[in-house]
Amino acid sequence: MKREEGSDHGAVEAIRSIFYPQTVAVIGVSDSFQRVGYNLFESLLFGGFKGNIYPVHPRLKTVLGRKVYNSLSEIPEKVDLAIIGLNEKATISALKECGKNGVRGAVCVAGGYREIGEEGEGLEKLLQEAASCYGVSFIGPNTLGFINNEIDLNTTFYPLNLPKGSASFISQSGGLGLTFLHQAADAGLGINKWIGAGNRSNFTFTNYLSFLGEDEGTSAIGLFLEGTEDASSMVHRASRINKPVVVYKIGRSDKVSSSTLTHTGTMSGSYQVYRDIFSQFGLYTVDTIMELIASLKAFTVSALPGGAKIGIMTHTAGPSIVAADMLYSRGYSIPELTEDTLKGLYKIAGENPPIVFQNPLDVAGMGFEAGTFKDYLELFAGDPGVDLVLAIYCQHKNWRFPSPEIIQVKEKVKKPIIACYPSPGTLLEKERPLLECHGIPLFGTPEEAAWAASALVEHAARLGGRSLT
Amino acid sequence: MKSENPLIALKEKGQLIIPEKEAKEILEYAGIPTTRCYAVTSREQAINAAREMSYPVALKISSPHILHKSDLGGVCLNLNSDEDLAGSFERLLNITRAYKQQVDIVIQKMAPPGVELILGVFNDVHFGPVIMLGLGGIFTEVFKDLTYRLIPVEEGDARKMIASLKCHPLLEGFRGLDPVNQEAIQEAVLSVSFLALENPEIKELDINPLAVYKSGVLALDARMVLF
Repeated sequence: MKREEGSDHGAVEAIRSIFYPQTVAVIGVSDSFQRVGYNLFESLLFGGFKGNIYPVHPRLKTVLGRKVYNSLSEIPEKVDLAIIGLNEKATISALKECGKNGVRGAVCVAGGYREIGEEGEGLEKLLQEAASCYGVSFIGPNTLGFINNEIDLNTTFYPLNLPKGSASFISQSGGLGLTFLHQAADAGLGINKWIGAGNRSNFTFTNYLSFLGEDEGTSAIGLFLEGTEDASSMVHRASRINKPVVVYKIGRSDKVSSSTLTHTGTMSGSYQVYRDIFSQFGLYTVDTIMELIASLKAFTVSALPGGAKIGIMTHTAGPSIVAADMLYSRGYSIPELTEDTLKGLYKIAGENPPIVFQNPLDVAGMGFEAGTFKDYLELFAGDPGVDLVLAIYCQHKNWRFPSPEIIQVKEKVKKPIIACYPSPGTLLEKERPLLECHGIPLFGTPEEAAWAASALVEHAARLGGRSLT
Repeated sequence: MKSENPLIALKEKGQLIIPEKEAKEILEYAGIPTTRCYAVTSREQAINAAREMSYPVALKISSPHILHKSDLGGVCLNLNSDEDLAGSFERLLNITRAYKQQVDIVIQKMAPPGVELILGVFNDVHFGPVIMLGLGGIFTEVFKDLTYRLIPVEEGDARKMIASLKCHPLLEGFRGLDPVNQEAIQEAVLSVSFLALENPEIKELDINPLAVYKSGVLALDARMVLF
């Protein structure tokens, strides 16, 4: 039974209970590290979940040095969440057992349901019936499960340690969801919650969006989507969430439905229909997983700009041209500097400076040294026509990054700044904590910095220009 | 304008495909100007009608059984004289004779040339009723310059739809062409959105072309499919 739009308060509560259990049982644990059941259990231990964990198997005595319980009824306390690592048929009986033993939430990992055709569809109906009959809510089936990084709870069979943060992600695909997590870790994007939606037999995308929309730990939501029947209620729900919702939708090359008779009808379910309707309802569409991560990074680290005009400052032209090119092509404004700013710039540069004072501003050799980089950046970012600044600085062995200076400028001008340091990833990792804890997202490429700028500007426009704090 | 939606009578008849003549009556009811079609059963009747509406005229076949009439050669445009009209009438009559079912011949005034858009509605498999606007006429499929919104749309949505089209410069007045009445396009979008919202039995609706002029819009051809 699917829960429809309008009445999903109950669904949100059920999802919340699943995400915040005190006690977790792993049904179908195994003593072989090559089995899913073993890894479900190890993920919980490896992730560092603080609640009680109960592995369940009818015959095993111990796994990973922990006592194994032979059935749910043997567990000495109430279990809040059961992770079921059994096959598609055994999962149904296990779900009934959960209900009988007062377990109200479950993750059904097994595939072999609706996604494989008619026979699987029948099984999925039985699973749904068992769940509703025995009062159990579940995520899946055919899913990797979920992660609540806030409480170190990883219900997937991929043991992971993830950076903490406030970005949450809903994925229609497990593998793409993992790709996201690994890239996010590399980019230093902190994760709050992660949902492998699977077959969405019990909860819809709309339900998951509602949950994350209300979730206190989540400040921005990412969504990977292939396509969904609840698209209409999903976009309506997303439009009522004040947090940014960033969507990576695939299917640009899909063969579309041919069962329609008119010209207009042939576009049914197509990528462009999704894209246009997302924009109608204020969802932000991205084209790649890297753009998804850059956007979420911007949203979770930076404040929103007061307007849509972007300034770019660099000491080397190329990266600024790449960023400007992308921003122009998306229709954003990179305004001229005001007279006062120009005068100020000439004042510090002296007579006949080897610089053209414009936006993007390339201060060339004057920008190598952090102190002078700051002098220029302060004037530039202070220009009243600029709402958001990209500061680009290329790594050098003997000149240090101007991170403290960029922070000082940001505190002074009170506008969002995005830092872009073309440099090796190891050095980005070193600079990132300082900049990002001061609200300045850091990227290694001008493309990512421009994606971040677009995302901030778009969401600020959607909210009608929220003032900066 | 009729006070009752002509769609209701057609629905009661159980007719699922609504040909041009009836589709235009529904559009007129919804507030969208069209080149109205009149059924003619003889050459003399056609010539009288043409003289009354004044040349040039267009002559087409019209039937719930035929959705793509131009594929059958069932569309004759720019007829300028009684002679042209008579010849075309004979040709279309031959086409209709090949059908067991009722196939009408309809006449309408030829509209002046304008920018041709497509405006339509379809039921998306994932979203439900979606409205579409784009570059129409024979280039629709070549350039795929189309934009979509979930129904119902508001004024701001309609405006953004128009502005987002690649062919938008054509509407603004391109190389000495007159700028067209974009507010009229906006109104047509809102009227179609309203029509589809009020009549959920509309499965598909196609206005192609929707000619747009300095003075307003005009639906030159249309068809509908009901559930």
